[in-house]
Amino acid sequence: MTITKNQNGTHLDLALEGRLDTTTAPQLEAELKQSVGGVTELTLDFSQLEYLSSAGLRVLLSAQKVMNRQGSMVIKNVNETIMEIFEVTGFADILTIA
Amino acid sequence: MKKKNRRLAVVMVASIVAVIVILSVIVAATGYQQFTHVLERQYNDTAYEVAETALTYLDPDKLEGYLQSGQTDEEYDAILARLDELVVSSNCNFIYVAKIDETDYMTTTYIYDSVNPATGFSRYEFGYVSRDTDPKYVDDLKHILTTGGRAEKYLYSYTESGAHTTAGLAVQDSTGKVVAVIGVEKSMTVLYGARSTYVRWVVSIAAAMVALTLLAYLLWLNRMVIRPIAEITGEAKRFANDGENPVASLRATENRYEIGVLASSILKMEAEIKQYIDNLTAVTAEKERIGAELDIATHIQASMLPCIFPPFPDRSEFDIYASMNPAKEVGGDFYDFFMVDESHLAIVMADVSGKGVPAALFMVIGKTLIKDHTTPGRDLGEVFMEVNKLLCEGNGEELFITAFEGVLDLKTGQFNFVNAGHEMPFIRRQGRYTPEKIRAGFVLAGMDMTRYRMGSLQMEPGDAIFQYTDGVTEATNANNELYGMERLEAVLNKNAAAAPDKLLPAVKADIDAFVGDAPQFDDITMLSLEYKEKMK
Repeated sequence: MTITKNQNGTHLDLALEGRLDTTTAPQLEAELKQSVGGVTELTLDFSQLEYLSSAGLRVLLSAQKVMNRQGSMVIKNVNETIMEIFEVTGFADILTIA
Repeated sequence: MKKKNRRLAVVMVASIVAVIVILSVIVAATGYQQFTHVLERQYNDTAYEVAETALTYLDPDKLEGYLQSGQTDEEYDAILARLDELVVSSNCNFIYVAKIDETDYMTTTYIYDSVNPATGFSRYEFGYVSRDTDPKYVDDLKHILTTGGRAEKYLYSYTESGAHTTAGLAVQDSTGKVVAVIGVEKSMTVLYGARSTYVRWVVSIAAAMVALTLLAYLLWLNRMVIRPIAEITGEAKRFANDGENPVASLRATENRYEIGVLASSILKMEAEIKQYIDNLTAVTAEKERIGAELDIATHIQASMLPCIFPPFPDRSEFDIYASMNPAKEVGGDFYDFFMVDESHLAIVMADVSGKGVPAALFMVIGKTLIKDHTTPGRDLGEVFMEVNKLLCEGNGEELFITAFEGVLDLKTGQFNFVNAGHEMPFIRRQGRYTPEKIRAGFVLAGMDMTRYRMGSLQMEPGDAIFQYTDGVTEATNANNELYGMERLEAVLNKNAAAAPDKLLPAVKADIDAFVGDAPQFDDITMLSLEYKEKMK
């Protein structure tokens, strides 16, 4: 998985490309842990994301919890497959999907 | 190893001996040549001095006359007598004066010839003609006669009678014309003896030097090279055998050449290898211990899931079968089924996010909480709300569980269920499996205030339910394709008539065929419940 990072002051954009699963979730977790300090607006771009597993959902939940405390988090360009995962797991209710 | 060292020493000594011997031979040969050359030169110079002296005795103007007339006179006799004296006093072999035929320089007509009686030869009388001049003297004779100077080369001969040198000078008359040649042959008596003495000395001194040098070199070689290397080799061999640290340092470390560095490096390397092996041993032991504990954990986890089939052999109302194939040693998936009371059967299917030990521990908590809170007649939504709250407390790792629980009333066929973010189940009605689109709540342990609502559907005898985890639909083949809902639905309907304990292996076989050699990333867990008849 490739993560493209674009930070602009307190705005952080992360574009994910590839598969977010058990093997790649720690990569995103580490990236968030490192960069999310002081960020008030976190945007995740899923346009190039092919697959999302429960390990990936866990990282998204952690990020959502952190951002609930210090600002907001938006996920954009969610494709149909991943939207279905969000709906089945109830994540659609707690995430802000634009 | 020792054998090799010895051979190394032999090669080193042999090469040194060879070099010294070659050097000695070269020095001796050069010395011998130089020595001979100097002696020859000395003798030749002496012969020339005699020739110069003899030349003063002659009356060159008369020589032509003697030859033409064939007559000698009193003056000739007087000169011959003086030459005879000179040949003895100067210790020469011959002094002769002769006319050389200048057409071929091969014909010699003797005018005077004085012979030293000690040689045992007799003189050539006046007018004696010799035609057998050695061709190698021709050039020198020609040079003497045409230039009036000395021979360009020395004239030497080494015969059985001994070594000789000859001086040759031109005899010129008062007009400067060369009329004859004067030759003086001197025996180089001392040459042989002196030369052999010289060679003996050189050889014995060289031999003594070789022996001394060799002895000194061998001692040095032994002390500075052979012994330290043998010591290092021995140490390396010892370490290779027992792998223990050396008792004492090596003497070779004090060596001031590269061998000292080698010895220190060997010791350093041994210490590091020892440390490395010790570490490795400790790590391996630890790993084995963890492995053993993981085995136990796997066993405990496996034994927590109901695994005796059929579990309720005296129940004719339903048939149930479940299976789990973990991706790692301990997985995060679990299933469960149990009788809530006499007429209510509960089934649970869940998946903890993450893998390995943390997921397994969380699974144990989740499974226990769900079973404990599922009491007869309780609303399943309430059960999940309470379980969720308990799971959210102290969930530092931020794990969560997707879970589905259903309770079947065996008397009425009413199937109540609650879904926390889990996959939708397949229901078989009239012999056909279709995915049951049910509303899902948020996952367990995600947010502590999440609310869950119980759903309900009606099952008739002959209906069945198939529940699973995402390890089934998201099994991935080598081309990164997912197994997916369509393939699952197809295989279920292909085996629609199969009993639960035949259906699950058939689905698993289909997944395996799809995945091929690609590794299994996620646990694969399935449960099938067939409602056979209403409880009376």
